[in-house]
Amino acid sequence: MSKTPALRSRIKHLLVDALHLEGLSPSDIADDAPLFGEGLGLDSVDALELVVALEKEFKVPIQSHEVGKEAFASVSALAAFIEGRLDAVGNADATS
Amino acid sequence: MPRADSGPSPSRTVVVTGLGAVSALGWNVASFWEGLRSGRTAIGPFDRFDHSGHRTHVAAQVDLAAGPGRPRGKPPRLSLADRFAVAAAREAVARAGLDLGACGGRTGVYFGSSTGGMIESEAYFAAFLEAAAGRGRRPAVGVLASQQYNSPGDAVARDLGIGGPVQTISAACASGAMAIGDAVRAIRRGEADAAIAGGSDSLCRLTYAGFNALRAVDERPCRPFREARAGLSLGEGAATVLLEPLDRALARGARPLVVAAGEAATCDAYHMTSPHPEGIGAAEAIREALADARLDPAEIDFVNAHGTGTPLNDLAECKALYAVFGDRAGDLPVTSTKSLVGHLLGSAGALEAVGTILCLLAGEVHPMPDGGAPDPAIRLRLVLGRPLSLPRARQALSTSLGFGGANAALVFTRYRDEGHVL
Repeated sequence: MSKTPALRSRIKHLLVDALHLEGLSPSDIADDAPLFGEGLGLDSVDALELVVALEKEFKVPIQSHEVGKEAFASVSALAAFIEGRLDAVGNADATS
Repeated sequence: MPRADSGPSPSRTVVVTGLGAVSALGWNVASFWEGLRSGRTAIGPFDRFDHSGHRTHVAAQVDLAAGPGRPRGKPPRLSLADRFAVAAAREAVARAGLDLGACGGRTGVYFGSSTGGMIESEAYFAAFLEAAAGRGRRPAVGVLASQQYNSPGDAVARDLGIGGPVQTISAACASGAMAIGDAVRAIRRGEADAAIAGGSDSLCRLTYAGFNALRAVDERPCRPFREARAGLSLGEGAATVLLEPLDRALARGARPLVVAAGEAATCDAYHMTSPHPEGIGAAEAIREALADARLDPAEIDFVNAHGTGTPLNDLAECKALYAVFGDRAGDLPVTSTKSLVGHLLGSAGALEAVGTILCLLAGEVHPMPDGGAPDPAIRLRLVLGRPLSLPRARQALSTSLGFGGANAALVFTRYRDEGHVL
């Protein structure tokens, strides 16, 4: 069974919490809305913050070159990226 | 007079076409002026941060709830000083009716700040240490980008889409006035066709603790030039003037408010915090600003003094005025905007420039709060209690004297003989 819906929800909570998106609740963030520029309107400083938060939350290292447009395009893309990393490191428990 | 199509020239006349002000008196020029005229100080109890461990407990705090709120759902990025600056810049541009898009990259931002986003950095590190100790969540790091002193000016440029020269002066309490002086020179040299000049600072623990440690803060609202004065009161806010060459302002149909006629900056080269006891650097700045405006001392109608309320500043400033104006210094109306809005540090010179301009436009000098005997050693004509009507006032001086002996003087003159507009 896919863990993605739970993972998406977790990433949304992480976004609101780590980036201090005041006045926004996780459910306000659409799965496929752009995170940077349009949509949520994040910038490169937020990207740094987000990477640190993701690394801490999911216990997976993220290299700078991985912080690309594709993997960080939306919550859905980010969930797929994280899921792939978790599978790769065999750390599936982290999403439970 | 330069022709409408003439190029830059050292004699190019620079006019003020817009004003903006954010202070403890409110978030716009109208509330600032109303408060100045009232002579009632905005200095009093404040709750921006815990000051229970300090000797003094007053400041002039901006009412944040009365200003534009933060954008919903965005990471916190702008400091308070940034937000004050953006609000003041928007007001000046709106008043000037200037289409910034039509100026392309020929508009500049010349800003002063003393502490930038210091209060946000203080809050960040306090929360960071708490989070490290397992209490609470890690604070957002993005707000640290606003720590730099150039952040308020940069925020203005980003908000208004200004692509010309954007620079920040940090020369303590003379910053805001020096920034305006720099903008005037830049326009005269043809480096910019318009400039938003001013300053912004917010209250923070650093300056509150620092000035208290120096014993430079009055326990009561500051009392400039009074015998019992015991120091300054801190304030916060931003102020801007929109400057344009006269020829261009007239060509686009704008109505100039006043002429930014003269500016100068000097340094005492004397002490880290004390002014030169004879005010020699201050006197030189005033002389040079008058010369820049091609005015004799006798032509100045009133003075908006630096007037912090510290024993040393007010005495040195009085000596500087006597050095320049001779015995006439005793007849020259003198006021201190700081008595009403506190000392805005890097923004003070800018807010006081706006206050000076408003007085010229209204034909009256705003008062300082009444009460407290003048210092007998300071023989100046203090404007106390209520506005002094000066309908024929045409030329005014504003002085800014900062730590490190940084001095700046600005001279503004009425534009032609139009009636008073306030």
